Amino acid sequence: MAKKPLTLKNAVLRTLLYLVVIIVCVVTLYPYFAMVCTALKSRAEIFSMNGTILPIHALWSNFIDIWSRAPMANYMLNSLLIAGGSTVIAMLCGIPAAYALARMKFKGQTAFLGFVIVSQMFAPVVLLIGIYKVMSILTLTDSIIGLIFINAAFNQAFTIWLLRGTFMGISPEMEQAATIDGCNRIQGMTKVLLPVAAPGIVTTLIFIFINAWNEYTVALCLISTSEREPLTVGINVFNGYNMIEWQYLFAASLFAIVPVVILFMCIEKNLVSGLASGGVKG
Amino acid sequence: MKNKFFRKVEPYIWILPSIILMAVFILIPIIFVFRMSLSDVSKAGIIKGFSGLANFTKVLNSSAFKLVLKNTIVWTVSVVCLSTILGFILALILNNEFRGRKIARAIMVFPWATTLVIQASAWKFIIDTDYGTLNTLLLRLGIIEQSVNWTPTPEAYFMWEIACGIFVTIPFVTFCVLSGLQSIDSTYYEAATVDGANYWQKLFQITLPLVKSSLTVSTVLNIIYVFNSFPIIWTITKGDPANHTDTLVTYLYKLAFYNGKQGQAAAVSVIGFLILLVCSSVYMVYTLRKGDD
Repeated sequence: MAKKPLTLKNAVLRTLLYLVVIIVCVVTLYPYFAMVCTALKSRAEIFSMNGTILPIHALWSNFIDIWSRAPMANYMLNSLLIAGGSTVIAMLCGIPAAYALARMKFKGQTAFLGFVIVSQMFAPVVLLIGIYKVMSILTLTDSIIGLIFINAAFNQAFTIWLLRGTFMGISPEMEQAATIDGCNRIQGMTKVLLPVAAPGIVTTLIFIFINAWNEYTVALCLISTSEREPLTVGINVFNGYNMIEWQYLFAASLFAIVPVVILFMCIEKNLVSGLASGGVKG
Repeated sequence: MKNKFFRKVEPYIWILPSIILMAVFILIPIIFVFRMSLSDVSKAGIIKGFSGLANFTKVLNSSAFKLVLKNTIVWTVSVVCLSTILGFILALILNNEFRGRKIARAIMVFPWATTLVIQASAWKFIIDTDYGTLNTLLLRLGIIEQSVNWTPTPEAYFMWEIACGIFVTIPFVTFCVLSGLQSIDSTYYEAATVDGANYWQKLFQITLPLVKSSLTVSTVLNIIYVFNSFPIIWTITKGDPANHTDTLVTYLYKLAFYNGKQGQAAAVSVIGFLILLVCSSVYMVYTLRKGDD
């Protein structure tokens, strides 16, 4: 945008713009600010009649105490396993499917794409009763492996959606040239297409990882052994019916938030253009 | 000959892993839910026989269901509408060039990336009457004299849940619209300025039509997500007191896993599908039509 002459009207509009942006940022960050402050307070300070905003003494020991008060290490590991495992399976199934949709013509293509889109309509929570039954048959209730497969399945739509868009945005000429040089389809894909599509693939990968890391409802329903819970469910040991240990709850929450917020910032730009246009049109 | 046969079958081999994954963990659960909604189901989840529409009539005749359905509609419509409007305005603002824009964008990512359970816990803490930070903050700033009870009624609780829903949904809308805005060629605006168009004319005649597709995608996806959203309400009120803050998904969770009425819970699921089907068919028609262009 060209630099506008500094008139009074522009100056007022600028100030207004900054004002709105600052208010939005402050409101957005406020819950996080409250969480950090509370995580550093003692129980007595949180429940005192004379409430404080900033902690009087920053109680860093809360961040250490949570590891002995709850199986935090287990929760972290479980979240990591669930998110990592779902990502691997979703990609292993999604890449070939997206490739077929982008590069081949076959009967039932529209029907398959239609099913992929409709499957987004079914959130796991509405299907919980059915999922629970399938898991009982497979003896995968209360198991991390079960959660990995469910997360992978419910992220298939996004995986295929984003990757199909990425692949369609890349001209097939290079792969055709590789075929003439004697490459077969699989080599053409792994050696020519996938390296070019890497940014799109990384974006998709991180997005699935975050989704699976943040998943709550299915884990809440399927997992009954405390040691097998992921962070999102596990941290609620501090959120009891009679007594909520806010300082521990938020200290533990920060461990669940920080990694994904950083990851998300890395992919935000790519992801959004992929969501809004990639899948709709290549 | 063999080669020709392989060419025909090949695409199906490529999509097979994906189909198996979705069939086992999505399609079969869907079939189970539909079957259970039409069956007499024991407390342990064992199907005892076909019962026609008995589960549906039980659900539809209960007074709780009417309240829950009303809540679901209020929840979905208000969260989707308000977050779309606010998110759109925010995208227009962030599309301007100003110092610190990158930081503002990075901050906007926070609510989107944070898991809903934690967001909801934070808000539950903030609005608490006795020790919540909102009261503390307002007291310290001298805006209020004594602690305000932010949640005197179930309806007030529900309002806060809606506010929390809007708060976490805005970034998705903003970023979708922003990506649409940034793909608009600036020459359109320059031409319009030469023709003497004012800000509002440019907004309604250039910007809106060009970001329509981004806006449609975000709105339809949001309708589905918000309708099916479970963690916010579950964390803040668990649908209590007496279903006053329940939506369909929390209601069916309680029916299935607390009250052992799996048949009725399945019926609630099916009713939910049917409502969403209307929305998603609009979505389907829209996306597939665009795909044929």
